[in-house]
Amino acid sequence: MAQHREEKTELKTFSEEQSSLWLIALGPTIWALHFIACYAATAVVCAKLDRLAEDGWLLRAMIGTATAVALALIAWTGWRSWRQWDFLDDRDHVHHRPVTEHRHEFLGHASFLLACLSFVGVLYVALPAVFVTGCV
Amino acid sequence: MRVRLRIRAGVASACALSLGGCTGVQSVLDPAGADAEVLATLFWVLLSGAVVLWLLLNGAFFYVTRMRVRPHSRKIGEAVIIGAGIAFPTVLLAILLSYGLSIMPDQRAPGDGLTVRVTGEQWWWRVEYLPQDGGGPVVSANELRLPVGARTEIKLTAAKVIHSFWVPNLGGKMDMFPGRETRMALEPTRTGVFRGQCAEFCGTSHALMAFPVVVLPPEEFEAWLAKEREDAAAPADAAAERGREVFLAEGCGACHAVRGTPAKGAVGPDLTHVGGRRTIGAGTLPATAEGFGQWLARTDHIKPDVRMPTYRALPEQDLIDLATYLKGLR
Repeated sequence: MAQHREEKTELKTFSEEQSSLWLIALGPTIWALHFIACYAATAVVCAKLDRLAEDGWLLRAMIGTATAVALALIAWTGWRSWRQWDFLDDRDHVHHRPVTEHRHEFLGHASFLLACLSFVGVLYVALPAVFVTGCV
Repeated sequence: MRVRLRIRAGVASACALSLGGCTGVQSVLDPAGADAEVLATLFWVLLSGAVVLWLLLNGAFFYVTRMRVRPHSRKIGEAVIIGAGIAFPTVLLAILLSYGLSIMPDQRAPGDGLTVRVTGEQWWWRVEYLPQDGGGPVVSANELRLPVGARTEIKLTAAKVIHSFWVPNLGGKMDMFPGRETRMALEPTRTGVFRGQCAEFCGTSHALMAFPVVVLPPEEFEAWLAKEREDAAAPADAAAERGREVFLAEGCGACHAVRGTPAKGAVGPDLTHVGGRRTIGAGTLPATAEGFGQWLARTDHIKPDVRMPTYRALPEQDLIDLATYLKGLR
C-alpha cells in the first residue's frame, strides 16, 4: 500500500516536470527553426527573386529580424531556466539528490546551458549575413 | 645508438617529405594568385592559432600531471572550465568565423577581362576562350593559359559526372556539375607554369585528370591567343604529311577536330594546336614525339578506361609518322 502511494507521488511529481521538459527543448528548437528559416529564405530569394536579391538588403533585413526574434525568445527561455535552476531563491545551485526540488533545479540548469548554446548558435548562423551581401 | 639514428633519419625524411608540399607547381602554400594569397594567409593564421592552443593545452596537462600533482581548488577548476572551456572558444570561433566570412566576397569577385569556359570530361578538360571583342570561342583542351595581372572569369560545367576545378597556386576550388554552370575567377600575380587537378573523384582515371596552367605577360598572351585562333599548321615534312594521311584514314577525325582539315569531331580534345601544349592526355605525358607515340600505342595502359581506342595494331612506321604529325601541330 505504502509502495503504491509512493509510486503515485512519483508519477505526480514527474508529470509536474512536463513544463520543464518543454523548457529544455525550447532553446534548441528556436535555434533549429531560425536555421531553417535563414537557409530557406536565402535559397528562395536567390533562386526566384533576382531583382530583389541584387543588393541583398531585403534578405539581410529578413535574416536580421528573424535573428532578433530568435535571440529574444532564447533569452527569455534562458531567464526562465535560470530562475528554475535556483527556484527557491536560496542561492543554492546544488542538485545532486533524488528529490523533487533537486530534479526541478537540475532540469532548470540543463535548460539554461542549452539556451546559452542556442544563443551562440543563432549568432553564428546569422553572421554570414553581416559579411556576404549578394547571392553570387 | 643505431635505433636512435634510424629514428632521426625517419623524422628528417618525414619533415623533408612534408616540406616538399610547401612549394612547387601544385601547392596552396606557394601562392601565385590574388585569391591564393588570401587563402594561404588564412592557413597560416589558423595553423599559428592551432600551435598556440596545442602548446597551452599540453602545457596545462604537463603542469597538473608533472609539476603540481595535488588537488586544485574547486573555484579555480570552475574558472578554468568556464573561462578557457566555454567563453574563450566562443569568442575565438566568432573571431575566426568573422575573418573567414570577411574574405569570402572578394573570393567570389567577378572577372574583369577575358572569360574562359572549362568543361570537365572523363578524363580531360575542354577549354574555350571567349574573347572580349566578340567572335567565336577559341577551342583548346587540357591546358589553360592566363594573362598575368588580370582577373579572368572562369565558367565551369561538366559533361557527364561531377568534377572539381582546382589550381592550388592560383585560387580556391569549384565543383563542376553536368547541366549547371558554376563560376570562379583567377587573378595570377606572377608568370610561370602551375598545375591544376580534378579535385572530385570522377571515375577510374580521376587521378590522371590534370592540366598545366601557363601564366603569361599580357602581350605574350594576346599573341598566343591570336595564334591559337588560327587553323592548324600544314605538315612541315614528308613524315608529317604521311602522319596526316594516317590520321584521316584511321578516322581520328570522328572524335578529334583539327581545324583546317576534314577532322571535325568534338567527342575528344581539339587537336588543332596539340603540339604546342606542354602535356598530352590531360597532364599525363609530355607533349613530345615520344609522348605521342606512347599515348597512341598504349592508350588504355596510360589512362585506364579511357574512351579512345588504342592503336598498337598500327604498323610502327605509321605510329611514328602520326606522332610526328601531331607534334608538328603547334
